[in-house]
Amino acid sequence: MLEIKNLKKSYDGVTILHDINLAIDDGEIVSILGPSGCGKTTLLNLVLGLADADEGEILFQGENVLNVPMEQRGFNIVFQDYALFPNLNVYKNITYGLRNNPSISTRQEVEDLIDLLGLREHLDKKIEQLSGGQKQRVALARTMVMKPKILLLDEPLSALDGVIKESIKAKIKQIARDYHLTTIIVTHDPEEALTLSDKVLIIQNGTISQYGKPDDIIQKPENDFVKEFILNQLLIKKNNIFTLFRQGNEPKIAAQVG
Amino acid sequence: MNRRKENEIKGIFGLVVLVFLIFLLIPLARLFLKSFMGDTGLMLGHYAEVLTGRGFLEAFGNSLLISSVSAVVTTVLAFILAYAVHYCNLPGGYKGFINRAAVAPMLLPTITYGFAIIYSFGKQGLITQLFGTQLFDIYGFNGLLLGYVIYTLPVSFLLLSNTMSYVDKKFSIVSRIMGDSPFATFVGTVLRPLLGTLAASFVQCFFLCFTDYGIPASVGGEFEVVATVLYNEMLGSVPNFSRGACVAMMMLIPSVVTIALLHYLEKYNIRYNKISQIEIRKGAVRDAVFGVLSALILLCVLSVFAVIFVVPFVDEWPYRIRFTLEHVISVFSDNSLITVCRNSLIAAFLTAAVGSLTTYGAALTTARSHLPGKVKQVIENISLITNTIPGMVIGIAYMLVFSGTPLQNTLFIIIICNVIHYFSTPYLMMKSSLTKMNASWETTAMLMGDTWLKTIVRVVTPNAMGTILEVFSYYFVNAMVTVSAVIFIAGARTMVITTKIKELQYYTKFNEVFVLSLLILAVNLAAKSLFHYIATDRQKVKVKKTARRPVVSKSIS
Repeated sequence: MLEIKNLKKSYDGVTILHDINLAIDDGEIVSILGPSGCGKTTLLNLVLGLADADEGEILFQGENVLNVPMEQRGFNIVFQDYALFPNLNVYKNITYGLRNNPSISTRQEVEDLIDLLGLREHLDKKIEQLSGGQKQRVALARTMVMKPKILLLDEPLSALDGVIKESIKAKIKQIARDYHLTTIIVTHDPEEALTLSDKVLIIQNGTISQYGKPDDIIQKPENDFVKEFILNQLLIKKNNIFTLFRQGNEPKIAAQVG
Repeated sequence: MNRRKENEIKGIFGLVVLVFLIFLLIPLARLFLKSFMGDTGLMLGHYAEVLTGRGFLEAFGNSLLISSVSAVVTTVLAFILAYAVHYCNLPGGYKGFINRAAVAPMLLPTITYGFAIIYSFGKQGLITQLFGTQLFDIYGFNGLLLGYVIYTLPVSFLLLSNTMSYVDKKFSIVSRIMGDSPFATFVGTVLRPLLGTLAASFVQCFFLCFTDYGIPASVGGEFEVVATVLYNEMLGSVPNFSRGACVAMMMLIPSVVTIALLHYLEKYNIRYNKISQIEIRKGAVRDAVFGVLSALILLCVLSVFAVIFVVPFVDEWPYRIRFTLEHVISVFSDNSLITVCRNSLIAAFLTAAVGSLTTYGAALTTARSHLPGKVKQVIENISLITNTIPGMVIGIAYMLVFSGTPLQNTLFIIIICNVIHYFSTPYLMMKSSLTKMNASWETTAMLMGDTWLKTIVRVVTPNAMGTILEVFSYYFVNAMVTVSAVIFIAGARTMVITTKIKELQYYTKFNEVFVLSLLILAVNLAAKSLFHYIATDRQKVKVKKTARRPVVSKSIS
């Protein structure tokens, strides 16, 4: 269980985040959703330990980790731009952490991750030879080898398009389920957030606008921001799709993911 | 604080600052004081003496004049060469030749240019013999102009060629579609975007001419310039260090002004992110004109150097023209000359090694740390100062500060001097390369258990290797050819090739001068191709692997 209590953060006197209170159960996928500049990445950095909070507590399994340095917290992140090391091939990227800490994952566990993420045929490749989706999977594998207690993903889907996006979504869900791993995802896309996660944390102007299950957010939006900016966007999308797929205009194929 | 404390980078920052404090700021401060120091404390007496003395103001005027004329001529010539490369349909091989030939003079010390001019255009010169008559009087204005133009052409060409490659050629298509006349298109889409760079080229060439010592040392003749006055005050028959310090300070003024101008002009530089490749419009006349003009320019430049391949290999120029290796053999059997060559190689290699480390460390603190902006600005200012200080001024400052210390007459002081003198350009190369790298590498690697140092060794350095090699090569070549600073600090035991050339001039041993020049050229060519080979070899491996990439990559299932 990860609990955040009264978290506050400001830079140079400007408050970025305030009154952040929430709890995340073990194994849950939670999306942090909001427009750019709302403070969602700052919240992610605070959980990771990359930034220091001004006030409040971050409790993991009941212990305040706010003063635990980033590398000792045991959380891990996949950055938006993946931060893969171009001088190393795919396999060496994946096993990078083992050189510092050989016992953290067994050989079998690494092999399982490689297969789970479909990277076996790419192991000898250079990073620059990979597509966006492949890079994302390598970055995921590299982080999973470290057995993070919480997995943080910064905009994991925004650089990907179409079916690749859906397949990565499926992988993220599978990892969270198979490893019973608490996963926190930052995104600006309501569709992504609501279809990927168990709970969605909507942030606006540095504080929580609504926190709940996707169903609750759709059925019981708590304020105008959620209604106008989150739901309205989804409705427009839905209507567009419905117009395309109106009666008698349905495609003759079945949907496939992955 | 949870954030990493970055103690390593603070240590590196401290070291870099310490080096520049001891070897740049203190010597400069000392020079400044010296110029005011009289028998009775601080005074302006030396300045009055220098300014009212015979010759100085004239030399100063001469310097301004010759530097301005040279800068204009060079910029025009370099523009023609760059235009031929970027805007004409010339064969790729010819363009490659222009690219290489235009920068070739960089591989030789300026002091050699002067002697090459004497042996080409002098009364008995190679080219004079070919034409049957001396084309112009080489001592004084003409010789200096020729030398300065050859000296600054590479820099100007590189500046203009670089900007031209980034100027969006699509604008010229738009301009033509909009119905502009060819002249209007040229002015609007070639000249206008280049204005900043053209001005920068002028200013940079002016600075180089104003502060160079090698060329006036050999062909200056009666035409006194600031650099020769400075040399004579410090190392002439009646040395006067205080007056020399004054002259050095006076040399600093135009330098500071030009660098300030360069910074100001940077604002006018157009920056495009990518190079747009379009087909160049057909224009047979244009191609012919620029092709021939470029050939003429390069022919003139290279013909001046032809002589250094001829003179040392004949019996006695120009009276007994018979091929012989006697001079070469005699140089290599002269123990003192061998020591000089060894000194040069050691100094160049160590300059390159220490210089690469210093610039890398400095660039790490500015490009890959979270140190406060004010701290980073310190490094930026150091880079700016080193860019402003002429080599002669550093050399004189060192002479004042380190004479009588154990550092006097050591290779160490020459190496440090080179590292500091040439700091600015490689630092900027390094910083630009490190800034472009992914900003999250250090955090990611730390989350996987790396220390900062481990990440630098395992990730950052391998990815920066291409630039590090470039920096190494830049320092090496410049250390081989530099004259202006080392002339004041090289001792009898630490003589390097360029200072030895200066000494040989005194004894009119020109065969040896040219053999040593050839040696510098050979070493620089070898070094450059070696570094180039290492750098491209690394790229080839990448290309090969890319080629093996399967056309269709399977999606995950």
